[in-house]
Amino acid sequence: MKDYKGKIKSVKKISIDAYELLIQSDLENAISGQFISILCPNTTLRRPFSIAGFDKETKTLKILIKLKGDGTNYLKTLKENDEINFLAPLGNGFKIENKKSLLIGAGIGIAPMLFLKDELKNKNIENYLISGFKAQEEMIEGSDKTVIGGSVLDNLDEIIKEKNIEILYSCGPHIVLKLVSQLAKKHNIEAQVAMEKTMACSIGVCRGCIIKINKQGKIENASVCKDGPVFYGDEVIWE
Amino acid sequence: MGIEKLKTVLKNKNRSLTLKTPIISASGTYGYSDEYEDFIDLNCFGAISTKGITLEKRLGNDGDRIFEVKGGMINRIGLENVGIEKFIETKLPILRKKKIDFLLNIAGSTSQDYEKLALIAQKNNIEAIEVNVSCPNVKSGCLEFGLNPNSLYDLTSKIRKNYDGFLIVKLSPNTSDIKALATAVEEAGADCISAINTLRGLGIKLDWVGKKFIKKSVQGGLSGACIKPVALYMVNQIKEAVKIPIIAMGGIEKLQDLFEFISVGADAFQIGTANFINPSICSNLAKELNEFMIKNEIKDFEELKEVIKND
Ligand SMILES: Cc1cc2nc3c(=O)[nH]c(=O)nc-3n(C[C@H](O)[C@H](O)[C@H](O)COP(=O)(O)OP(=O)(O)OC[C@H]3O[C@@H](n4cnc5c(N)ncnc54)[C@H](O)[C@@H]3O)c2cc1C
Ligand SMILES: Cc1cc2nc3c(=O)[nH]c(=O)nc-3n(C[C@H](O)[C@H](O)[C@H](O)COP(=O)(O)O)c2cc1C
Repeated sequence: MKDYKGKIKSVKKISIDAYELLIQSDLENAISGQFISILCPNTTLRRPFSIAGFDKETKTLKILIKLKGDGTNYLKTLKENDEINFLAPLGNGFKIENKKSLLIGAGIGIAPMLFLKDELKNKNIENYLISGFKAQEEMIEGSDKTVIGGSVLDNLDEIIKEKNIEILYSCGPHIVLKLVSQLAKKHNIEAQVAMEKTMACSIGVCRGCIIKINKQGKIENASVCKDGPVFYGDEVIWE
Repeated sequence: MGIEKLKTVLKNKNRSLTLKTPIISASGTYGYSDEYEDFIDLNCFGAISTKGITLEKRLGNDGDRIFEVKGGMINRIGLENVGIEKFIETKLPILRKKKIDFLLNIAGSTSQDYEKLALIAQKNNIEAIEVNVSCPNVKSGCLEFGLNPNSLYDLTSKIRKNYDGFLIVKLSPNTSDIKALATAVEEAGADCISAINTLRGLGIKLDWVGKKFIKKSVQGGLSGACIKPVALYMVNQIKEAVKIPIIAMGGIEKLQDLFEFISVGADAFQIGTANFINPSICSNLAKELNEFMIKNEIKDFEELKEVIKND
């Protein structure tokens, strides 16, 4: 973990309120589920974003941002060759297993799923990415199946059975991750979920982004930024 | 790098504490020991004030703990920490091995807690402790001590009896009479005062979803650039009341802030929230201060203080 100077290669609008940023830096390694934390001049704290893709050869990483407040609205104004400072690579990513994988992205939660899909493809692991968006105009491309309007969860039972899915990976709102974890339990398969929580230091010291997990029968605190953001669905104590 | 110039001696008539530089990382923002090692030059680092440590391990508060505001943040961590035993067992050896100077920041909910912690510090030859009597984030406990001069005097005296090292008491700004608190602490035998802890604050966010507002609120301690004017005021008041040295904090982010705090009586500094923005800030500030002094032919930190105070 280090702080990096990144050079913006491009900023592209990909939906009504989301942008793709390509950033070149000296960062050598990253895996899906890990994130970076960007310094924005108009906010107090840094802003965390999942790594949505990484090209080792050109040392270029991709992030997808959905517009929310001051931080994301600053980031969308960046231009080619602008410099940004970010901490990376942060947190623990997905632990890829050689199993038939179902990837579930809800909304902007698709970001780390796209990177995971790249990695699975490189490893020749069979996978299927389903993503869900509230409306057509919010849709981000790259999935095997996209659900607009309804719930991405409605389709999962069927897909799991049909495709003999052996593991679930997911990122999205808290409630989606909770339901994905319950679904995994029902089908007796593993789920890995990438969580979000407002954070301050982003390296595990301030204890600001704590969730409760169950470690061998004992309830413990875990930080989303350092112990996560990826957790096993069955270890999280869901609120 | 020659940072001899920044050598800082905090002293009163009984004891002194020598630091490599006057820049200390503030409690709760830096972990326990070497967590920030990737980012800082340990040679430029005065000391770390550890996360507030209690007798028993604490899991802290449930729910949201961080809320960002303009120029700062509100936290309600609730003193999550590993407890003194585990600290001594697992963190102290790292600090010792890597020769990282530190202040052991302690907190309790009864006077006995503090006395026991002081005794443990004494037994383990811990050179300096910083007593948090002012944490706004725990329901029972330290806040009451921190806001009443009589109970603060009692508490400090009791800790003093059990602990012979350099005793720093950290004051709360959530009071109408900081001078009375500072005086009580000095009279009870503390060697140094640090100030300020966080201010009480409430962050509210209302989102209009569907046909109603969804409200999120976080009540806790406000820190960061936005509290600097309060901190300057408080340090100035403390300086008027006592002779023991003062470690100043509250919104420090840049070289100019150090000068401003010196002008109201600071003898050293702590950096808190700014570490979250720039994890190298503690060593960067030391380097900048050093360069400023070289360029302007200021012999040492003592002379810098004189120069600022006499202008
Ligand atoms: C590990 C992690 C990965 C993330 N990955 C992505 C991603 O790939 N793409 C994306 O668009 N967003 C992602 N988010 C959410 C993103 O960090 C927030 O949307 C962003 O910080 C909002 O900043 P703002 O200033 O625009 O909004 P504001 O609403 O003004 O932010 C106010 C405060 O709340 C915090 N905050 C707001 N929403 C969130 C949230 N959902 N999670 C955590 N903190 C939040 C901000 O960091 C800030 O401190 C991720 C969050 C985490 C924790
Ligand atoms: C996340 C966080 C945790 C903190 N935890 C402690 C603590 O455990 N003990 C303590 O004495 N002060 C604690 N503080 C207060 C800081 O040490 C400092 O007094 C305060 O933040 C003001 O300085 P700043 O504006 O530079 O952050 C904490 C502050 C923050 C932001």
